[in-house]
Amino acid sequence: MPEIRVTPLGAGQDVGRSCILVSIAGKNVMLDCGMHMGFSDDRRFPDFSYITQSGRLTDFLDCVIISHFHLDHCGALPYFSEMVGYDGPIYMTHPTQAICPILLEDYRKIAVDKKGEANFFTSQMIKDCMKKVVAVHLHQTVQVDDELEIKAYYAGHVLGAAMFQIKVGSESVVYTGDYNMTPDRHLGAAWIDKCRPNLLITESTYATTIRDSKRCRERDFLKKVHETVERGGKVLIPVFALGRAQELCILLETFWERMNLKVPIYFSTGLTEKANHYYKLFITWTNQKIRKTFVQRNMFEFKHIKAFDRAFADNPGPMVVFATPGMLHAGQSLQIFRKWAGNEKNMVIMPGYCVQGTVGHKILSGQRKLEMEGRQVLEVKMQVEYMSFSAHADAKGIMQLVGQAEPESVLLVHGEAKKMEFLKQKIEQEFRVDCYMPANGETVVLPTSPSIPGGISLGLLKREMAQGLLPEAKRPRLLHGTLIMKDSNFRLVSSEQALKELGLAEHQLRFTCRVHLHDTRKEQETAMRVYSHLKSILKDHCVQHLPDGSVTVESILIQAAAPSEDPATKVLLVSWTYQDEELGSYLTSLLKKGLPQAPS
Amino acid sequence: MDHECARLLPAVCAVLADPRQPVADDTCLEKLLDWFKTVTEAESSLLLLQENPCLVELLSHVPNLQDVSSGVLSFSLRLAGIFAAQEDCFQYLQQVELLPGLFGAAGPLGQAVWAIPTVRSGWIQGLRSLAQHPSALCFLADHGAVDTIFSLQGDASLFVASAAGQLLVHILALSMEGRAEGHTCPQGGDWPMCAQKIVGHIEESLCSTDTPRVTQALNVLTTTFGRCQSLWTEVLWEQLSPLVARLLERDPVPAPHPLMDLLLCVARSPVLSSLDRGPWETAAQALSCLGPTQAGALALGVLKLQLCPQALRTQAFGVLLQPLACVLKATAQAPGLPGLLDGTSEDPAVVDALLSSKSSCAGLLCRTLAHLEELQPLPQRPSPWPQAPLLRAAVTILCLCDGSAAPSSSVGGRLCGTLAGCVRVQRAALDFLGTLSQGTGPQEQVTQVFAILLECLERPDSSPTVLKKAFQATLRWLLSSAGTPSCSGLGPRAALFLPELFPVLQKRLCNPCWEVRDSALEFLTHLSRHWGGQADFRHLLLQSEVPELTRQLLQDPESYVRASAVTAMGELSSRGLHGTLTNPEHPEAQQSLLPEFLHILSADSEGFPRRAVMQVFTEWLRGGHADVARDTERFVATVLQVVSQDLDWEVRAQGLELALVFLGQMLGQPGPHCPYTVALPKAVPASPLAEALGALCRVRLFEFAFRALFDCDRPVAQKSCDLLLFLRDKTTPYSSLWEAGGSPDSASVEAALQRWQAGEQGQPLGDLEPEAMLAALRSIDLEGLRGTLAQGSDHVEKSPQSLLRDMLATVGVLQENQADCY
Repeated sequence: MPEIRVTPLGAGQDVGRSCILVSIAGKNVMLDCGMHMGFSDDRRFPDFSYITQSGRLTDFLDCVIISHFHLDHCGALPYFSEMVGYDGPIYMTHPTQAICPILLEDYRKIAVDKKGEANFFTSQMIKDCMKKVVAVHLHQTVQVDDELEIKAYYAGHVLGAAMFQIKVGSESVVYTGDYNMTPDRHLGAAWIDKCRPNLLITESTYATTIRDSKRCRERDFLKKVHETVERGGKVLIPVFALGRAQELCILLETFWERMNLKVPIYFSTGLTEKANHYYKLFITWTNQKIRKTFVQRNMFEFKHIKAFDRAFADNPGPMVVFATPGMLHAGQSLQIFRKWAGNEKNMVIMPGYCVQGTVGHKILSGQRKLEMEGRQVLEVKMQVEYMSFSAHADAKGIMQLVGQAEPESVLLVHGEAKKMEFLKQKIEQEFRVDCYMPANGETVVLPTSPSIPGGISLGLLKREMAQGLLPEAKRPRLLHGTLIMKDSNFRLVSSEQALKELGLAEHQLRFTCRVHLHDTRKEQETAMRVYSHLKSILKDHCVQHLPDGSVTVESILIQAAAPSEDPATKVLLVSWTYQDEELGSYLTSLLKKGLPQAPS
Repeated sequence: MDHECARLLPAVCAVLADPRQPVADDTCLEKLLDWFKTVTEAESSLLLLQENPCLVELLSHVPNLQDVSSGVLSFSLRLAGIFAAQEDCFQYLQQVELLPGLFGAAGPLGQAVWAIPTVRSGWIQGLRSLAQHPSALCFLADHGAVDTIFSLQGDASLFVASAAGQLLVHILALSMEGRAEGHTCPQGGDWPMCAQKIVGHIEESLCSTDTPRVTQALNVLTTTFGRCQSLWTEVLWEQLSPLVARLLERDPVPAPHPLMDLLLCVARSPVLSSLDRGPWETAAQALSCLGPTQAGALALGVLKLQLCPQALRTQAFGVLLQPLACVLKATAQAPGLPGLLDGTSEDPAVVDALLSSKSSCAGLLCRTLAHLEELQPLPQRPSPWPQAPLLRAAVTILCLCDGSAAPSSSVGGRLCGTLAGCVRVQRAALDFLGTLSQGTGPQEQVTQVFAILLECLERPDSSPTVLKKAFQATLRWLLSSAGTPSCSGLGPRAALFLPELFPVLQKRLCNPCWEVRDSALEFLTHLSRHWGGQADFRHLLLQSEVPELTRQLLQDPESYVRASAVTAMGELSSRGLHGTLTNPEHPEAQQSLLPEFLHILSADSEGFPRRAVMQVFTEWLRGGHADVARDTERFVATVLQVVSQDLDWEVRAQGLELALVFLGQMLGQPGPHCPYTVALPKAVPASPLAEALGALCRVRLFEFAFRALFDCDRPVAQKSCDLLLFLRDKTTPYSSLWEAGGSPDSASVEAALQRWQAGEQGQPLGDLEPEAMLAALRSIDLEGLRGTLAQGSDHVEKSPQSLLRDMLATVGVLQENQADCY
């Protein structure tokens, strides 16, 4: 039975390390290869030993597809390819290919620096891993091999994020990765055509949320920043190097311009140039407005946002600083936080999720006395704000995408079980399709009915044409023939040709039927009467009376016999081949009605 | 458990037992369990429960809750298992009748939550921890747990199913524990009930027509034999091996991979492999039943064994070679050449797999090549090793892939069509070809190898991954063809090949794909490292445009390529090969790279090229490169000054590495890097020391190291700490000569140190005397600092107190924060 099998190793009923195995028509694909930021041991990576219980990974997996550059989607990639030993192709979009190694490198440095981990992937491994990447363009159909093809669609979310269609023959699966159905200041909205996949695997981070207006959130953010700098405070915005940070930069830059503000805004560690470089390079991936105005003004060349120097943190007066990393667990953002935390005029705005154990998590949960290194206690007097700017589709957006792609079934990943349950019911009710939400390690099996291509012999086609039945594009036609399988191909041929090709002898199957007639005459006379009767009715057919007394109509043979027990009754033995089944049945019913009275 | 944790624990338990309070982070419960594991390893669980009654309360409360979260329930099951692992604590939990409510029929097992995989997983993991003593076995028997575990073997969740199998093995081993210690091992019929039940279940499963059940049984057996080497495993194998052998009589053979794993596991076991009913016969049967298309892994495993009957080895090698033998036969040009497995008939299944479809052909060849690649370097590989036919097979496959093969048969023709442009097979063949460089081959064949490698490198449509493998294989063949490392020449083949290779390398250095440029540069670096001193190589390289092109790649738009170009140019420069030579007699006439590298170090926006420069500089300083030796002090001073501003901590750490090399040259080599090595410092005589310290001040090494000591990135601070400790040890014997405490200079240094420690930048120190520096050096508690740094900067995050506080603090915080992600 052909089937599609999906097993999440990560992102099954959780928002952690995305890693989903899909088997479709004998091809095995891994969707994303993420890491969990909340663990610092083996548990941070998916357990790859479940991919194949025996045999080499490279032999089993046909390819790996990475949806976007966030570490929960690509963080385990160098480990998987250089330490676990996967040596096959990895597909991602061009921007993801460019930005992925930067984030992996940042992550590696923090792991080595902060945790002092020795057994970790190296820079060389990241590079070797990136050399296995095949970059794809949007809407470009890429042949992974003769049977498997993939195609990327725009997903919004972050620069280069893509949804992927995976197709083998007539079966297909779409994996959304993370996506956003509403455009923002620098990216467009996700889009996919009506590709009607067998299965749509969609993220469901905001499965139950209808997000409030983006404008409100933005206004709120700007108000908070503005108020703080107005009263002479400093604002720290911990961010991840590339991604949502650029959205916030554009927001602040535009606001500063409009309000003619002079307070300095800084962005740490030379990332402004780097980000600028990538956004310029991949300008086609941004939204329409940015692309349109690019010739006059590159939105990423900020007038108000300058590169940050460590010394600036001690400068008096207000300022806004974007610093990495985003969870306040290391590096510059933590260093600045420690300097500014003691002043109630200052503010820290956390624009994203923080894992347990990080300073970001602690302050978001309201802790105000933090124990730092050397048992020093840091009192947090500065204001702490949480403002989510992550770009995921909300419940409405997810429904919209399902409507757009028209899948036969839906599978939810990258979300919380309870919220998924709600969305699952909604999808099943509204679209009347099955919706699944497997936990990590659980396999969903979907039976499919693949269409199998078959050839048709020219002889058979010509014969059909000769009967005057010209093919019509819009109307399916029934064609009779013999389906033969030879050299792994299916062909429809005439039965004669089939016999010839397969070297088989023909056997005939005849249907027989007895019809009782009340007739006192002799058998020969009865046969004669049958002949005359049929001859008069079946003008278009060849009706013959044979010397042995039997009557034929095409292949139908009629013989009259007299049963010994009742001489007044005659039995007509009618037999015909299956080709003349229609005529045979007609004749039988005709004869059952009896013969016309003979002129006496 | 410390006082603070004990204080926080009741509140945390209360939160966990309250279904209205969701646990903030999915990692918290995992970390909490980690902590309990550590605590129970160090102290008595019973005492822990008695001192913290909130724990028992939690465990008895949770299973009875209506809306309990699956995460908390699973956590409770696992936690109870951890506590019950100690027998006295188990008895205690039994007394309070807590365990049946968790693991018995009254527990989650019979409730709706059982449908959630996390709960089933928690149940299994809890039992896995609990099953450590005979009392636990009775508990399992009393509550029918083993039957539940049997059914969980076929669970929809891979994780649960796998854990169930592991747990069965563990219970079997536990119930047999102690029985194997006697001289005679009881027969299966005398085994404990629990073990008999499990074995009976395995027997039933092996006879089942349901393949997943067979797989489960085979997996349990493999784990058992892999883990336990006791005598009872002998009896078990004796009892079950006929059933295993019977699986091979079915058509098709069910679960071939788990079956092969089991046979190999038995063959590896010293106890089982020596039995009369050893695995050899079954393995031989499996090799012939499964054939080359399926039994490759078994054949490889057999050949890797140290002790194995020769006939089986021969059979296994035949299985491994079959696919390549078919390829050779189908493409044989000259009839006289020996093939592989001459005289044996072709396996029709192999021909069928090679011809039926592209993916089956590629799959079979890739597996075969990978298996042979793994076998080639092993000492126990078959002897004689058919090096020549294997080489021919690898070359033929590459020819088939690039379309240059001229097949002589219809099968060959079809293979040609199937494999043309097949990157997957090309990569595998190149890997294998590279491995074959370890053996010898007839000269004519080696020429063919170089020809096909050149072809791969030359072809305009070669994929970057193929090119990378081709470069790697070429390097291996070049190095092996040159003979021993002490050999003075390039070797005749390399000498012939290199003139053809350089134009190709030139072309690849200009390839539009960064991956290709980078692989070409890495290749060049390796080549120069090995042959930079060979006259012929030098001549050929300098006549080509390779050095100039490499230099141009220092400006490549891709940072990886710039970094590789820096490494390559650094290597070439060390050997006087970095520019086109007008006069070969005077390599020093070549333009210095130092200014260019310094520019990269100070201006490149990416870390990789800057790090590469620092590695090259350190090597140059170590090796006495001419550009450095001209004015070493100036060189070091400039580099340290640039590096101290770098935003990349790895560049700053490499600056300290360079400083350490310089120190070593000034004061004598530092000892081993291990900070715990006890060794008396070798003091430097006083007067050269004064000179050396003067030099260190001039290059501002002190200031660089002091600043680095308070670097916000821990590895930099650690490295600096080691460097300063080394410096202090070298100068301690003469401390009386350098007493300068209280001088205005030393006061300014100490003030600067305080500023840096506080995270301020401050002004540079300016020119100061060594006395002030040494005084400052002595004033710092370097040992203490090193201890602090060794703890890692995130020790607070990891502490249980921090975890418990975080869990408590999250209560009541808006849920929206959790839903969000990156």
